[in-house]
Amino acid sequence: MQKQKGKKLKSLTVMSSALLTLSLAATACGGSNGGGNASPSASDTGSAPASASASASPSASAPASESAAPAEKVTVDFWAQKFEDTTDAWFKKYVDAYNKSQNNVQIKLTIVPGDAWDQKMKAAQAAGKAPEIRTINYGNIANAAKTGQIQALDGLMDPTAFDDLYDNVKAFVSVGGKYYAYPKLVEPSAVMYYRKDLFEAAGLDPEKPPTTWAELLEDAKKLTKKGVFGLSIAQNAPDLGWSSWGLQYNAAGHLALTDDWSKADINNDGYKALYKFYQDAYQSGAMPKQQLAGYADIKGFGEGKVAIQICGSWAMGQLRNSYKDIVGKVGIAPMASIDGDQTKPTATLGGWTLAVDGKAKHPQEAAGFIQYLLAGDPAIMIDFFKTAQFSKFSPRKSVDEAMKSDPDASKDQWRALIAEKIIPYAKGEPLYPWDVALAVSTGIESAMKGTSVDKAIAKAEKDVNDFIAKNKLAGTNPQA
Amino acid sequence: MAKSSSVSKFKQDNKTAYLLLAPIVILLTIFVVVPFFYALVVSFYDWSFYQESKFVGFRNYYLVLTDDLFLESVWTGLKFALMVVPSMLVLSFLFASVVKNLSPRFSGFVKTSVYIPTIISGIVASVIFVFIYDYTAGLANYILGWFGVEPIAWLADVRTALPSIAVPAVWLGFGLTSLIMLSGLHDIPESYYEAAELEGAGTWAKMRHITIPLMRNVILYLLVTGFTAQISQFELSLVMTNGGPLSETVTPNLYILNHFRNDVMVGNSIAASLLLFVVLGSISAIIFRVLNSEKAIDG
Repeated sequence: MQKQKGKKLKSLTVMSSALLTLSLAATACGGSNGGGNASPSASDTGSAPASASASASPSASAPASESAAPAEKVTVDFWAQKFEDTTDAWFKKYVDAYNKSQNNVQIKLTIVPGDAWDQKMKAAQAAGKAPEIRTINYGNIANAAKTGQIQALDGLMDPTAFDDLYDNVKAFVSVGGKYYAYPKLVEPSAVMYYRKDLFEAAGLDPEKPPTTWAELLEDAKKLTKKGVFGLSIAQNAPDLGWSSWGLQYNAAGHLALTDDWSKADINNDGYKALYKFYQDAYQSGAMPKQQLAGYADIKGFGEGKVAIQICGSWAMGQLRNSYKDIVGKVGIAPMASIDGDQTKPTATLGGWTLAVDGKAKHPQEAAGFIQYLLAGDPAIMIDFFKTAQFSKFSPRKSVDEAMKSDPDASKDQWRALIAEKIIPYAKGEPLYPWDVALAVSTGIESAMKGTSVDKAIAKAEKDVNDFIAKNKLAGTNPQA
Repeated sequence: MAKSSSVSKFKQDNKTAYLLLAPIVILLTIFVVVPFFYALVVSFYDWSFYQESKFVGFRNYYLVLTDDLFLESVWTGLKFALMVVPSMLVLSFLFASVVKNLSPRFSGFVKTSVYIPTIISGIVASVIFVFIYDYTAGLANYILGWFGVEPIAWLADVRTALPSIAVPAVWLGFGLTSLIMLSGLHDIPESYYEAAELEGAGTWAKMRHITIPLMRNVILYLLVTGFTAQISQFELSLVMTNGGPLSETVTPNLYILNHFRNDVMVGNSIAASLLLFVVLGSISAIIFRVLNSEKAIDG
């Protein structure tokens, strides 16, 4: 009796373990097949059934026979990094419009959060499932082009589309004489936002914001009261890494490497003045000891805890959308310059573009969509700039031209100030690896936290030179 | 007849054993063994997804080992584990000792509530603690304000950043550690304590001579898993400080993640991961050495 029971139990375990093995094997296979479509649910744009069945089977034809979609319709994956809600909505709106406007291409939009982007993209690239269209910022284009992650758009897009770009922006998207991405917008990395009412209360002239670094620090000290910090500017290495590029140009006239990328170029008076400026600002007590929010976020200023905040032009949109009650008290001006000369650069022009994956199966179709969205009817782009509260700027002459006749755009004074007083003097972002920028900014942060300027610069210089030597960076500047 | 049947049964048992082992062996092969050797191979290449991989020998290892930041990050991970693991063990031991003597109903409630942090994801915990450590509006500085203390830059000051991140790590791990400790305590036969009491042993003597020695295996387990888990911790510093101030809170895994995200070639991060594997392995080996695992005297 007992024996029998034991036997039964045994065969039961055998069977169940066999089942388990089988199911596990099955799920493992399913996982690797479906890897590329890991999160289509995030942003399917409404036409779910058609796009899902079409996307699952561009090569494997078994399920395709069941789907009713026309066989020749091509599905193109498009990953957009998550930006403001208004931008996401704009992407969705025009992807839908494009899908409805023709019958050959189905664009499938996925919005990927910024902090998940790199991991998700790397994983997709490793699996050969990278999206055919992707967002990419100016700083990454050269490296991506050099390593074949994205492909040249000459020949895929109408050449006149590139003639429409401003000359400095053309340089941002071209590598070795070819265009590797089509720009969507530019935005200067540094604009000075200040509270006119607090200026008055502190006995300062609200129409005369500081123009030199010395004045800025002096005013910041006067503006610091209980509960209000005089100044907020980047204060940790990752933020300083990119937000200080404009001021590096301002103080030194160049960035951290020599033109041939053979060595660091920071042990000079310009960089010393820059390090000193950040050090003085942090140690004066006018800045919070721990940042209230990241550099790209104007939250602290919006909540009334900061009198002068340096932030990108995008903060205009944030102020107008989220902090409507203080907008009337806000003044904006170019970031102060080392010596008061406001024609020196104080900002770099960052911004986003669309590019076609290096291994894209349908490059022509992918580029066709980019042409439609970014290089086509100016009204599409004007719609975007409007929803962004004109906090971003057009890389295309024709869009600016069309915007002149737009009543909202033409009477926006903030927009005019940035377009006239900041952008013309702003520079492009460096193409050198992020490690170099981070080494320089880690130096700045250590100066802020108490290391002497000379020591901090010496350490940063050594780190950059080590990096150059180890990674054989000398002579690899794609734009030299 | 009897003999032959026993032989066939022996074979039958073997088959069953293999069959039962199969799922885990297959899974380990797919998810551990193959990737491990693949990683080993790839670590000798300049590996990118769009170009031919280039054999570079030990260059990736050389780059990682000569990178001050990597060595610093291993040291940071060790410091972090040294802050988190001992405090977690002591706290949960004390807590478990208290809970053991509670009435069953009340202890059930306490056990459930103390376990809640365990099921909260590290990311959520990080966000909660970012609010607590906020410079102007955070709970921590608000409470200090009652005593007239100036606000502290918890996450931006070189001295306080790592301990500030250690606190949520203790909070997250406390529940599970306590429950394991508690089950260890319940495993010690009551008769030992009764005998000791008859001999006139006090609370302290009982803890020193009975509880702690008999908990050795539990503590060893918690030490090894705790150290491995805490040195590999990265989401707390990723969310709360992004490795800052300077590189004070860059743990080894955050270092690897940063390289994985930023590098054009992936070889560097893989070499660093394998080196971290060596580090973790040696630490576990040292702990085993020091705290020789023995079978408890009374099973």
